[in-house]
Amino acid sequence: MIEAAQETRPDAVAPQAQPLPQGTRRPPRIVEVWRFRQLIALLVVRELKVRYKRSVLGLLWTMLNPLLLMVVYAVVFTTILPAAQPNFAVFLLAGLLPWLYFSTALMQGLMSVLVNQELVRKIRLPHAVFPLSVVGSNLVNFTLSLVPLFAMMAALRQPFTPALLFLPAAAVILTLFCAGVTLLFATATVFFRDVRHLTEVLLQMLLYLSPVLYDLKQLGAHQSWWFQLFRLELRVNPLSYLIPLVRDPVYYGRLPSVPTVAVALLWASGGLLVGFAVFTRLEPRHIHHL
Amino acid sequence: MRDGQIILQDVGVGYRIYREKVSTLKEAVANRFRHLRTAEKFWALRHVSLQIPPGDAIALVGHNGSGKSTLLKTIAGVLEPSEGAAVTQGRISPMIELGAGFDPELSGRDNVYLNGALLGFSHKQMAAKFQRIVDFSELGDFIDLPVKNYSSGMYARLGFAIAQDVEPDILIVDEVLAVGDERFQEKCKRRIQDFRAAGITFVFVSHSLSVARELCPRAAVLHHGRLAFDGPTDAAWERYRELERGPAPGPVFQA
Repeated sequence: MIEAAQETRPDAVAPQAQPLPQGTRRPPRIVEVWRFRQLIALLVVRELKVRYKRSVLGLLWTMLNPLLLMVVYAVVFTTILPAAQPNFAVFLLAGLLPWLYFSTALMQGLMSVLVNQELVRKIRLPHAVFPLSVVGSNLVNFTLSLVPLFAMMAALRQPFTPALLFLPAAAVILTLFCAGVTLLFATATVFFRDVRHLTEVLLQMLLYLSPVLYDLKQLGAHQSWWFQLFRLELRVNPLSYLIPLVRDPVYYGRLPSVPTVAVALLWASGGLLVGFAVFTRLEPRHIHHL
Repeated sequence: MRDGQIILQDVGVGYRIYREKVSTLKEAVANRFRHLRTAEKFWALRHVSLQIPPGDAIALVGHNGSGKSTLLKTIAGVLEPSEGAAVTQGRISPMIELGAGFDPELSGRDNVYLNGALLGFSHKQMAAKFQRIVDFSELGDFIDLPVKNYSSGMYARLGFAIAQDVEPDILIVDEVLAVGDERFQEKCKRRIQDFRAAGITFVFVSHSLSVARELCPRAAVLHHGRLAFDGPTDAAWERYRELERGPAPGPVFQA
């Protein structure tokens, strides 16, 4: 029986650190996340199940969504602005699909730790499973949305070339990048809720600052300083390298250039490393900010 | 260290209390992040040292806000102590609350697998347990109904049925026996006694002397985040009563 006499201990005196026996050590975070891969898969399934429950068209929405968006942009660009390229619908869709993957995963993913705070408070698990599962469910959506893309290509007699076999690799690189950015923004949102609103605005700007609705090749050669600045931004913008991974095989029927793939890979792996490192570093403090 | 052992050494869990709640970037920038420096620490738990050998059963008692749940979360690893160390050995059933992690939209069946995955079990492992879990929960065909249509008793039954089948070395539960009808409560108690007999370490929060005495020979009393007593359950209860009669409890937040 131990009556606690601790009330009198002055707080200023640091408790003497005694060597503690080694218990079950927390494994490295990356190992922990790997152990919970089945949970990530289940959360992906849950996400898809819950999202389309009670909607008549269900998963079809995943395919209809980018199509409808594409129609809007196609109408705007072909009737109002006459600068359209041949098979503009395919061109647009090929740029919109990776863009939608990135932006939707980011917007959903940055809220994911907050949305799942009930679990975070009560069960010990790596918090990264939540943003990662959002990226996973959006990867499923991205893959499904290739179906309407191919349908559109067939309808418009866009040639199917062997370069299309690059698409799985493109999906992998995109996914790594999405995962990194989403992890980074998810942890930031825990500490500052307005990251969400800020990101919403930034994404709208980024859509026009990235070669999604237009192509780098279409840019003229103005000499004005703001145009130079825009060019510089495009050279730094990771999406300038990620979007062509999909668009080059689909629209131009050729593999993306080696430098493009190299820079895209660099952004993707660097982004994931930084995102994961920052996320796991701040993870123990999440619970105090929920 | 052996499986099932828990060592808490001078554990403190501090929460920052911001005098002004800053949760937007604008406020933080406007104040030049001053809030990060001037925050006061509120110690939900401080200087708590406990040794729990494998197979021991300990009840945690204390007033609301005494730090019981914080202590459970620290042992489970949901919270990291801000000072001191919490060391455990073996698999912890990290279920602070029964049915934590149920998705109301999904069926009971889907939730069994989801909960299993939350606890780190594979689909295959859960498939092997599935029938046992359904049998224990006595849910029958209701297992395929969305969980949102369950009564609170059914919800808790399924939660406990899963928790009792995860083969932990350390079982941690908050208020396990507060729900469900009397017969099911008895069933849960018997199951916990089986666990005890099998040498599983058991930590739980209790508001009832009779349940605590039935299940745990030992109890710890928490009072405003400090360990006020650690010893036989009956004596612990005495101490708890005594503390409750004492001067009005601590930090009073005035409106």
